[in-house]
Amino acid sequence: MRDVYIIGTGIHPWTGFSEQVFADFAATAVDGALKDAAIEWTRIQSIMAGIFIYGGNAGHLSGQYLESIFGETGVPVVNVYNACATGSAAIRMAYNSVAAGETDTALAFGADVSPKGFLTAKSDNAVQDRDVIRWKMGGMPNPIYWALECTKRMAKYGTTEEDLALVKVLMSEYGSKNPDARFKKAYSLEEVLKSVYVCEPLRLYEICPVSTGAAALIITADPELIAKADKPVKINATTMGSAIYGDPTIRISALSCPAVAEAPMLSESYSASRQAYEKAGIGPEDIDLLELPDNSSWHYLVYLETCGFCGEGEADKMLRDGQTRIGGTLPVNPSGGFSSHGEALSAQAIWQVIECANQLRGRCGERQVEGAKVAMAQTYGLMGNSGTTILSI
Amino acid sequence: MENMANSVARIPNLVDWSTGEVRLMSAKCNSCGTYFFPKEHYQHRPGCSREGVEDVLLPSRGKLASYTVQHYPCPPPFKTEQKITPYGIGLVEFEAEKIQVAGIITDTDLKSLELGMEMETTTLTMYVNEEKQQVVTWAFRAVK
Repeated sequence: MRDVYIIGTGIHPWTGFSEQVFADFAATAVDGALKDAAIEWTRIQSIMAGIFIYGGNAGHLSGQYLESIFGETGVPVVNVYNACATGSAAIRMAYNSVAAGETDTALAFGADVSPKGFLTAKSDNAVQDRDVIRWKMGGMPNPIYWALECTKRMAKYGTTEEDLALVKVLMSEYGSKNPDARFKKAYSLEEVLKSVYVCEPLRLYEICPVSTGAAALIITADPELIAKADKPVKINATTMGSAIYGDPTIRISALSCPAVAEAPMLSESYSASRQAYEKAGIGPEDIDLLELPDNSSWHYLVYLETCGFCGEGEADKMLRDGQTRIGGTLPVNPSGGFSSHGEALSAQAIWQVIECANQLRGRCGERQVEGAKVAMAQTYGLMGNSGTTILSI
Repeated sequence: MENMANSVARIPNLVDWSTGEVRLMSAKCNSCGTYFFPKEHYQHRPGCSREGVEDVLLPSRGKLASYTVQHYPCPPPFKTEQKITPYGIGLVEFEAEKIQVAGIITDTDLKSLELGMEMETTTLTMYVNEEKQQVVTWAFRAVK
């Protein structure tokens, strides 16, 4: 396998609902990535596209729709879906194509125009689609699942409502310094604790909404392109994990979970991160900054443990002691996280990797983590989907 | 149990009241020992032969393993004519079967919920259909 580098990144800033066509968002991100890499569209030798599940034919074939905007060149185009880890799958396929020598330069992208309101069932077949049951019979929107786990955590480890609120305080502080974030207001602890409950113990400001956004990444093993790139970033590993039998987490869309744990919580993310550590020869102790999926304040805490940055039940202390702040031992989500962006399903994993790359390239202005050399992006998708990417400069 | 003669589950094969008790319709794999809910949510142990999966009813009672209180109405396709919000959602553990199942909690005194308390399976009438049947889902309530 060859060394593979990120040479170009592009983002369409995260925003609310839009009437704009999703492919136009994608085009903005891809234009940015091409400009950053200083290459022409015709240098792209494969396209790995995250699909947009609410986009009909265009969304399911997002790579083809994008290609037609920039000009069809006959290169391999693969469209992929792994829930909220969709972007991780696109990056991994692009990486594998280039690392294996199938192609020299590849594009991974995702764009999502989230529908208004909640993401609900997409079929009416209760036998093959558990989403139908959890909506019609369970009355269980996504945050319910996180709240059920958070309640368990609070009883087991003593996580407090102040801890959950403090996550939002930090995320909003960083989001206020990120021009690409959707939410740019910084909140005080008191303001967060005064926000209404959505599902106890989680409050409105402690849960991320759905957003619109697009992100694109150009990676290469071409020595000429690497040499002329502005601070190329090495991909040390990019992996995908699925769930492991006996994982006690109640997964979104499921109606049940094991009562006796035979595997770690969020085992898909445990698996993805351990694969990445092994492949990269880099462990949690070597990581200078982490972008994790803070869909809720509960995720922020549990992911520090799932990915091995501390022991079980120790994340609250890391947070309280300021270790996860910019300037701390492990800055977490200097981007402002999902809390400041919202989920743009197929784009978010790619955006997380771009934030890491931009941090390593020293491009993050007021939210810059000084001297960061190694960064990690971690994703989470429903029903056992996860990806980990480790980068260095 | 209330009179369930004119009740129908909104989705079949999930909840049963034919035995005189309300019970969840599960399936057990006799090869790997895993219980599934819903029945079609197969969760076999890796390497299991998958032979001998049989339908079983879960016990009517279990223990509250977790809960939350939902403070806004659940959007469609959830449908109810009752004012249930805020409503509880519980994760009830059936210890011998090593499974926890989620469901709406029908108790109105949500402040009295405590982890570990004994819960029983019940039904919640969501609405009345065109045939004048009560359309129900499974639910849980604290054992008094």
